[in-house]
Amino acid sequence: MIILPLNTDVSVFKGFFCTYDANEKYILNKENGGMEMKVETIIKQDQNFFQMVSRQYGKAFLSPYYRIGLLIFGLPFQLLILIVFLYKKYVKKQNGKINSEAKEALIQIGYDQKLKAKLKKQEENKQAFFNKLLNEKETNKNVERLFSTQFQQAVNEKAQEIYEQSNREKVTFLGQSLAFILNPKYFVLSAVLGFPMYVLLVIHSFPFMKYLFERLLMMLFVILGVTIIVFTLLYFSPSDPARNIIGETATQAQVDNFRAMYGLDDPYIVQLWRTIKGVFTFDLGNAYSGNQAVVSTIMRRFPVTLELSVFALIIALIVALPAGIYSAVKANTMFDHVFMFIALIGLSIPSFWQGLIFILGFSIELGWLPATYNADNFASLIMPAVVLGTLLMASVARMTRSSTLEVVNEDYILTARSKGLSNRRVMLRHAVPNALIPIVTIIGLQFGGVLGGAAVTEQVFNINGIGNYIVERQFIPDIPSVLGGVIYIAIVLSVVNVFIDMLYAFIDPRIRTNLKRY
Amino acid sequence: MKSYKDTLVYKQAEFSMGLSLLYTLIIGFASFDFSPFAIRPFILILAGINGLVTAVQALLVLKIRKDSNKSLVINSTSRQLAGVLLISLLAGNLFIVLSSLYLLKNKVSTGYIYSVYMVLTDFLVIGVSALNLFKAYVTNTFIPFMFLLLFILIFHIVVLVGYNRFAAMSGIVKKVFLLFFAATVLVGNLFVLFVIISMIQKTDNETTMTRRKGIREKIIRNQASMIGMLFIVFLVAISICSYWTFNYGFAVTNDYSSILQPPSLTYPFGTDNFGRDVFSRIVFGARISLTVGVLATVIPLIFGGALGAVSGYYGRHTDNLIMRFLDILYAIPGILLAITIVAAFGASTTNLIIALSVGYIPSYARTMRANVIQVTNLEYVEASRAIGNNHTNIIRKHVIPNSLAPMIVRATLTIGSAIIATSSLSYLGLGVENYIPEWGNILRTGSEYLETEPHLAIYPGLAIIALVLSFNFLGDGLRDATDPRLS
Repeated sequence: MIILPLNTDVSVFKGFFCTYDANEKYILNKENGGMEMKVETIIKQDQNFFQMVSRQYGKAFLSPYYRIGLLIFGLPFQLLILIVFLYKKYVKKQNGKINSEAKEALIQIGYDQKLKAKLKKQEENKQAFFNKLLNEKETNKNVERLFSTQFQQAVNEKAQEIYEQSNREKVTFLGQSLAFILNPKYFVLSAVLGFPMYVLLVIHSFPFMKYLFERLLMMLFVILGVTIIVFTLLYFSPSDPARNIIGETATQAQVDNFRAMYGLDDPYIVQLWRTIKGVFTFDLGNAYSGNQAVVSTIMRRFPVTLELSVFALIIALIVALPAGIYSAVKANTMFDHVFMFIALIGLSIPSFWQGLIFILGFSIELGWLPATYNADNFASLIMPAVVLGTLLMASVARMTRSSTLEVVNEDYILTARSKGLSNRRVMLRHAVPNALIPIVTIIGLQFGGVLGGAAVTEQVFNINGIGNYIVERQFIPDIPSVLGGVIYIAIVLSVVNVFIDMLYAFIDPRIRTNLKRY
Repeated sequence: MKSYKDTLVYKQAEFSMGLSLLYTLIIGFASFDFSPFAIRPFILILAGINGLVTAVQALLVLKIRKDSNKSLVINSTSRQLAGVLLISLLAGNLFIVLSSLYLLKNKVSTGYIYSVYMVLTDFLVIGVSALNLFKAYVTNTFIPFMFLLLFILIFHIVVLVGYNRFAAMSGIVKKVFLLFFAATVLVGNLFVLFVIISMIQKTDNETTMTRRKGIREKIIRNQASMIGMLFIVFLVAISICSYWTFNYGFAVTNDYSSILQPPSLTYPFGTDNFGRDVFSRIVFGARISLTVGVLATVIPLIFGGALGAVSGYYGRHTDNLIMRFLDILYAIPGILLAITIVAAFGASTTNLIIALSVGYIPSYARTMRANVIQVTNLEYVEASRAIGNNHTNIIRKHVIPNSLAPMIVRATLTIGSAIIATSSLSYLGLGVENYIPEWGNILRTGSEYLETEPHLAIYPGLAIIALVLSFNFLGDGLRDATDPRLS
C-alpha cells in the first residue's frame, strides 16, 4: 500500500488519475493560492498486512465513538503508546517550536494587522446594515473574539505547511500508534496487549459487520431505556402492592414481611439495578400472586403469541401483496376502488369487534371454525390470525399499491417497456422489487402493532398468550409480571426491527452500496 | 380539454347513485329475517322506494350523459327530474338529495356545497332526535329544543336557496346577517363555519380569480371525504344536542322490567342486560369517543410536534438526544404502554388519554422532524437567518407553519386509531370507567350475549367503524388536497 504524501506535486499524476480512476479524492485548496491539489489514493495491490491494519486503525480512530472504544479495549497498549508519545514530545521535544515559528512568520508579514482590520471593517458594515450601532468597547470585543479564532486557524495552517516543507512529521498520538502497528515486532506486542481492540478493528473494517454491530449496540441501549421507563412508571404507582395482594385486613407484620420478601423497601436505584440485571439474566423473581417465576411463565406463554403473530403476518402478506400489486396494475378501475375501500374498512375495524363478528358468523351461525383457541387444533388458529393480521393486511395492501404506482412512473419502467417486455414481466421483474422498500418499512412499523394487538385478540379468542397474561396480571396488579411481559415484548420487537434493517441491505442494492461507503 | 365527466356535479351524481344503490341493498337485506324466515313489510317497502329512486337517478345520469357532449349540459327536464328526486328525503336517502341539490343550482360554488351539507346535517340531527318521540317520556327541554332545531333548519334552508343573494350582500347588513348566522353553529353544525368563511372570502377575493385554492376548496372534489366529514359533523352536533333532546336516564338507569328487548321503535337498538336503551347509550358514547380521540391526538401533536421541530431544526446533538429517547418510547407497542400506565395509575378516562398520548408522541415527532429538516434547508429559512432573525422566530414564523400540513393529515388519520384504541382498552376493562356509556363498554356488555342477542354487539361496533372510517376518509382527502403533486 502506498499513501502518497499529501503535498507532493501531483500535476504529473493528475491526468492519469482523472482518466483511469474515478475513486480518488481531490481536495481543492484555493486559500493557499493557485490550484494546488491534495490527492489521497490507495493502490490496493501493494498493501501488506500491517499497512492494511494501520490504515484501518487510522480510519477507526477518526470517529469519536470508535476512538473511545479503541482506547478502552486496548488500554495497556494505549498506555504504552502514551508513554512513548509523551517522551518524544516533551522530553526529546521532537515537535520543536514550530507553532511559535509559524506565529512569528505570520506576524512578520503583517497578517495579524491585516486580519484585524478586515474583521473590524466587517463588523462595522454589519452594524450599519442592521442599524444597531454598538459602542467602541463592544465592537472591539466582537472583533477580538473573531480574530482569536481565525488567527489560531491561520497559525495551525502555517505550522502544517512548515512541517511539510521540512519533511518532518508532527509527533501525534495517532502517528505513534500507526508507527507501532507498522512494525511487525511491535505489532505482535500490541496484539498481545490489546487483543480486544483488534476485534473492534475487525468489526469496523467490514461495513456490514460494523452496521450490524452499531445496530445491536443501539438495541441494547433501547432495551435498557425500555426497562428504566417501564420500571419507573410502575415504581411510582400510587397503589401499595402489599395491600393489594394480601388484602386491606393484613397486619403490619404481614405487610412488612411481604415488602421484605420482594425487596420493596430498597431504594429506587437498588430496585432498578436488580430489575436491569434480572432482564438480562432472565431472572425477574417471583410473581406477587401464584408464586411462580415470572420469566418461566413468560417463556411458556411467549411461543403461543409468537406463533399467532407470525401466522398473522404470513396470512397478511399472502393476501395483501398480490392484491396491492393487482390494484396498482388496474389503478382507478372498479376492482381498485372496491379493494381499496375494503382495505380502508380493514384499517377502521376494531379487532375485538371483528373477532366477535367472526365468532358469531363462523362459529355460532355456520359452525365451521372453533370459537376458542386450542393448541392441538390448527383450525382454531385461523380466525385469531386473520383478525390479528387485518390491520397489517390493510396497511400493507395500501402501501403496496401506492409505492408500486409511484415506481411505475419511473424512467426505468419506460425503458423496460420500450425493450418490449411483457406487462407482466415489467411489473414483477422491474416494478415490484423496487417498490419493496416502503413495504418492508411498513411491515416493520406495524409488527409492533401486531404484538401489542395480540393482547386484545387473545382476550377475545381466549388464547393463553403473553398479551392475555399481561392483561390478566394488570388487574391484580401484579407488578413484576406486567413489567416482565412488556419488557420482553419490547425486546422481541427490537430484535425484529434489527432483522428488518438488515433485510433492507439484502433487497436493495442501493443501500448495500451506501453501506460500503458508510 | 376537461371532459364533462370530470365536473364536480356529474361526479357527485354518479357517486350518489352508487351510494344509493348500496343503501338500498343494505335496507333490502335488513328487511328479511333469516331464522325463522320472515319479511318485515315496512322496511321492505322502504327498500322498494329507495330502489325506485335509485333507478330514476340512474336514468337521470344517463340522460345527462346523453345531453352532454364536451361540456356538462343540464337542461330544464333534468332539473325538474332532480327536483322531483328531492322527495327521496322522505325515504331517508340523503345521497340522492345531495346530488339533486347540486343539479338544481346553476353555478355550484364552494359555499353552496357547504350549505348543502349544513342542511343535511340539520336533517340528520332532527331525524335522530325525533326517535325520542317513541319513548315513554321525553326530557322537559325536548320540545322547545326541537322547535329551535326546526327553526334553525328553516333558516339554513333559506340560506341554501338564496345562497348567491346572501353572499352578494355587503356592508352592515351582511355583518348582522353573518353574526346571526354564526350563532347557529352553537348547536354543533360545524359546516356553518365553512359557509361563513366562503361568504367572507367571496367578497374579499372576487377580483383575484386565479388565486391558489385552499384546502377547504380542494376537498369538496373528494366525495368520500365529504361524506366522512358529514358523519363527523353530525356526531359532533348530536353530541351537543343530546344534552337537551336525549334523556341520560335511559342510558344509565337500570330498568329491570325491560331487559334484553329486541330492536323496536321505542328501543331502536334494543336494551341491554340492565334494561338500558342501547341507542341512547351509543348517542351519549359518541361524545366520549370524540373527546378522547381528539384529545389523544392534540396532546401528542403539540408535544411530539415541538420535540420534532426542535430536533429537526437544531440537528446534531440535540437531535440525537431527543430521537434516541423517543426510540426507546417507540420500542414499546402503544397498547402495552397504555396497559402499563393503567396498571400503575388505575383505569380512568384521564389516565387513558395520557397513556394513549404518550404512545403517539414518537411518531408525531418523527413526522415533524422529517418535515422540519426539509424546510430548514430551503432558501427562505436561510434568507431569514441572513437578515438576522433569531432561532425562535425562524422556527415560529417559517419552519412550523410550512411543515404543518403533513402533521394535520397524520392527526386526522390518528384520531381514528385513537378511537379504536380507546374502545379496545375499554373492552378489556382498562379504559373508561365501566359505568360510563362508552362504545367499548357497550360492546363489552354486548359481547356477553353474542349467541342470543347479537345486535347488542353489532350496533356499537358499527358506530365505531363508521366514525373511524369517516376520519380515515377525511384524512385521505386532506392528504390528497395538501399534496402538491396532485394539484
